[in-house]
Amino acid sequence: MTTAAPTMELVPDEEDRETYILNMGPQHPSTHGVLRLRLHLEGERILACEPVIGYAHRAHEKMAENRDYLQFLPNTSRLDYLSGMIYNLGYCQAIEKAMQIEVPERAEYIRLIVGELNRISSHMLWMGTYLLDLGGITAFLYGFDDREKILDLLDYVTGSRLTYSYGRFGGVTMDVDEVFLRNVADFCDYFKKRLVEIHKLVTGNVIFRHRTRGVGVMGADLGISYGLTGPCLRAAGVARDVRKDEPYGIYDRLEFDIPTEEEGDCFGRHMVRMSEMEQSIRLIEQGLRDIPDGPVMAAKVPKRIRPPAGDHYFAVESARGHFGIYIHSDGSDVPLRLKLRTPSFVSVSTMPVVLPGTLLADTVAILGSIDIIISEIDR
Amino acid sequence: MIGGDLGRLAGVCASSEQDYATRGYHGLHEAAAEAMPEVAALFRAAGYHLENLTCLDQRAVEEMGCFSIIYQFGRYDDLDRQLVCVKLTGDQPAISIASVFPGADWYEREVFDMHGVGVEGHPDLKRILMPLDYIGHPLRKDFVDQDSLRHQLSGVVLEEEAEGDQ
Repeated sequence: MTTAAPTMELVPDEEDRETYILNMGPQHPSTHGVLRLRLHLEGERILACEPVIGYAHRAHEKMAENRDYLQFLPNTSRLDYLSGMIYNLGYCQAIEKAMQIEVPERAEYIRLIVGELNRISSHMLWMGTYLLDLGGITAFLYGFDDREKILDLLDYVTGSRLTYSYGRFGGVTMDVDEVFLRNVADFCDYFKKRLVEIHKLVTGNVIFRHRTRGVGVMGADLGISYGLTGPCLRAAGVARDVRKDEPYGIYDRLEFDIPTEEEGDCFGRHMVRMSEMEQSIRLIEQGLRDIPDGPVMAAKVPKRIRPPAGDHYFAVESARGHFGIYIHSDGSDVPLRLKLRTPSFVSVSTMPVVLPGTLLADTVAILGSIDIIISEIDR
Repeated sequence: MIGGDLGRLAGVCASSEQDYATRGYHGLHEAAAEAMPEVAALFRAAGYHLENLTCLDQRAVEEMGCFSIIYQFGRYDDLDRQLVCVKLTGDQPAISIASVFPGADWYEREVFDMHGVGVEGHPDLKRILMPLDYIGHPLRKDFVDQDSLRHQLSGVVLEEEAEGDQ
């Protein structure tokens, strides 16, 4: 904890023992953005933790109330800048479901391929930065190298690296060509070998195992009381994945598994994400095999996007868990309310029960393992 | 499947089944604010978790004239999503369900922060996304940004520009 100059205060508690209050963040490199953890410490042990959020609040939900549905589309990839594609497409699918717009087959396959590529890129960045948090710089370079290869692929079709706005209500903006499909197939072959290397480098590493096994256990009961989703929940043995349980797009006709682990610790979450990348490759390969020719935009998309009045809810599985879009429409061009239910918000809200009792050094390991994105917590 | 049990609770006034294919949820219920802890406990006992909690400012909407809190419950083992709507008129506060679902804590703070709706029985009700000393509740429909220096500054610039033009 020497990198930043955290503010500390010494507070005597009821029994006149002195406890430190340490502000970890908002400018701490391991908080991945601007999260502040207010930690009550007794020596190295954490007595209480209070996350302070809101530093990156940009009023996305207020913006949604001041523009029409299409104008809000670019905002969605700025929620989670690491898997912006999934958020873009999720928002499009939410509107398509509310408006009952049919999406052409080819567009569905393209969505599947780019969405899963984006999921891998997000997990690779997580793997790299997590290892960096724990002091392993080599894996960081591996992670960013592979992620950049995916971003190049996505850049080729969408024209941007992170904030894609690639989906449209009724399809996608641009068709993909043979070069892209071939490059994706090449990447899949490359990445399968690469995953083996990463397992050797990271999963088998003794220091990594000691730092993560049995640390930061989040059980299934915690999931129920907080509504936890994504890899955090699956590492606790609950096989819950929106792609499987509530299939959207073409996930219902593809074969893939939901990887789970039993322990619910940091190592489990690592393993779940690693296995998820294998499943993503499996999905992409099926997509490449079956992708049909045809249009990528629906022929009949209403000029005015006006979902029927009332409540609408749509969920997708982002790289971090259940991303839900709640829309309350009053039948006009503008939503009365658009609420974004983001998985990281829930994950961070569990910290006050997960962190107490652990060591300060483990805070970084635990916080890193839940894979938070501040911009989707603060919205 | 929870509909029958819910209907027997006092304070749950209306329940309707919804078309999942178009709406994305299976049931919509209406409950009184006071009944919420009991409703939440029923959902918890039946194996549901709190999926989402949000607030709508419908004060300007005809025939509504109130804030609506939307509680959303889902399941891990099955696809079943239930929405419970609580209407709050005037300054009536919502009742906290954080004792049943600890995850509601932050959602309720967000409702308080963004809509200015009080939550009774909340363990530590304070702002969550906006700064603690912020004035106003941004997601209210009649919200005017009084706190922002930007507005004041832009006013000054405009006046100077106007003078320069003359």
